Amino acid sequence: MNTFVVLASVTLRALLGRRRSILMLILAAMPIVLGLLVRVNERELRGETLGATLDGFVVRVVLPLIALVFGTAALGAELDDGTAVHILTKPIERWRIILAKVAVAGTLTAALVVPSTILAGVFMGGGEAASLATTFAFALATFLGSYVYAAIFLVLSVATSRGLIIGLAYSLIWEGILAGLLPGSQVFSVREYIGGIAAALAPAGVPESLIGSSGLLYAAIALLLAITIGSVRLATYEVRGTD
Amino acid sequence: MTDEPRIALERVSRWYGNVVAVNDISFALRPGVTGLLGPNGAGKTTLLHMLAGLLRPSSGTVRIAGEIAWRNPSIYRSIGLVPEREAVHSFLTGREFARLAAQLQRLPDPDGAAARAIATVELEGAADRPIGTYSKGMRQRAKIAAALVHEPSILLLDEPFNGMDPRQRIHMMALLREMSAAGRTILFSSHILEEVERLADGVLVIVAGRLAAAGDFREIRRLMTDRPHTFVVRSSDDRRLAAAFLAEPAVFGAELHDGRLAVQVAEFGGFTRAVARVARDTGVTLFEVAPTDDSLESVFAYLVSRR
Repeated sequence: MNTFVVLASVTLRALLGRRRSILMLILAAMPIVLGLLVRVNERELRGETLGATLDGFVVRVVLPLIALVFGTAALGAELDDGTAVHILTKPIERWRIILAKVAVAGTLTAALVVPSTILAGVFMGGGEAASLATTFAFALATFLGSYVYAAIFLVLSVATSRGLIIGLAYSLIWEGILAGLLPGSQVFSVREYIGGIAAALAPAGVPESLIGSSGLLYAAIALLLAITIGSVRLATYEVRGTD
Repeated sequence: MTDEPRIALERVSRWYGNVVAVNDISFALRPGVTGLLGPNGAGKTTLLHMLAGLLRPSSGTVRIAGEIAWRNPSIYRSIGLVPEREAVHSFLTGREFARLAAQLQRLPDPDGAAARAIATVELEGAADRPIGTYSKGMRQRAKIAAALVHEPSILLLDEPFNGMDPRQRIHMMALLREMSAAGRTILFSSHILEEVERLADGVLVIVAGRLAAAGDFREIRRLMTDRPHTFVVRSSDDRRLAAAFLAEPAVFGAELHDGRLAVQVAEFGGFTRAVARVARDTGVTLFEVAPTDDSLESVFAYLVSRR
């Protein structure tokens, strides 16, 4: 078994703790519940309203929160409690460790957020072709966004023991407030990359963003940068709390 | 085999802000068991972490099998590290933990290597239980199994006997001696003198980040025993006894204070042999003879002061 699979499987087992899993499932279920409420009230959201609702609820709230929890727990929590030492003291290149951890944190995030997006979109928008196009555009965009967010939050947790708080501040303050006030800062907003990807796939149903169709390119650059920075940082990581 | 030391430190220091944790330490180790002895907070773990490439020395160089330890994951092919504090994934069984180490070492038969390591530390009975259910001693043995799985030529152990019961301790000491005889270089830290005495060929004494003494254990032991001591003596006639003690070559001072006699002794053995004879010759009855500064810390402080 190669080291990637070994690292990924132990990370997966560590991340699937019972309490964390239940909390993340509840979070991922919230857009579906919202969709069901819309459906029960016999209303349908169409066009940009559907896009704006998926963007406002899934992309702005559910996705970053789930990615934040999995991203910071995948390696940062192990560095904090010392379990990572058993992996760091093996002859493995650091980028392999980062890659395996990002893959697991991103996949777990996507495994919760993508079905949530699809079900919520179908319940809210119905089966009309344009609504389905919007829903699946967001599903694909959140799939890619899961890995970008997870990578960024994972790197934050390697760089600092306050990764969770800084990640939350990035999502709430930087992406939530500054990106609205200072359009130029959208270039550093994963939320805008996701919006750009969704808009490129379903222009009719997604509000325009500054990033536009370059969202995929920005997302790819952000992912590569995060993995590179994480690998370099992990290579110089120093254990804490020695006497 | 070359004569190159397996572990070599050259003028290594490590500081955190203004606090110096390790101060200008140099030594070289070849195969055998060496004890890293020092009180809690002396810098033993910092030193072991630098040896294991988990901390960057602020100055100086650490070499493992001739290679720089910092930022060099390839050294882990020849190192097995048993950390003291670091946690283990509680959901893994002991066997899975050892197998994980074998797989990450890219061994050709991880299951076989894990089974051998588990047997070596006598953990077969609990090997398939989650580590979360282990006692501290069992967890320690699981960590040692994982560290041994690739049969490293260098073994670094941080307080390895913590939490082990006496039988496990004896077994582990025998195992480490066996590994040393097979040509491995073993460095273990301890704050317990007796552990080091029973196991180590050589000793490094570290106090407040400084190397206070290094070398053969018996020589260090002699230095520790023969350092100046102060004894408190209560007797039927302290004044008379004090005058008699001052004539002894092992004694260099005596003072009466608060109704008790404090005797400053240059040589521990000489005084303990003389005390009963002096009391008998002077016709004084002894009620109490007690050393006042026999803590390990005071022993270490003395070793530092003489360098």
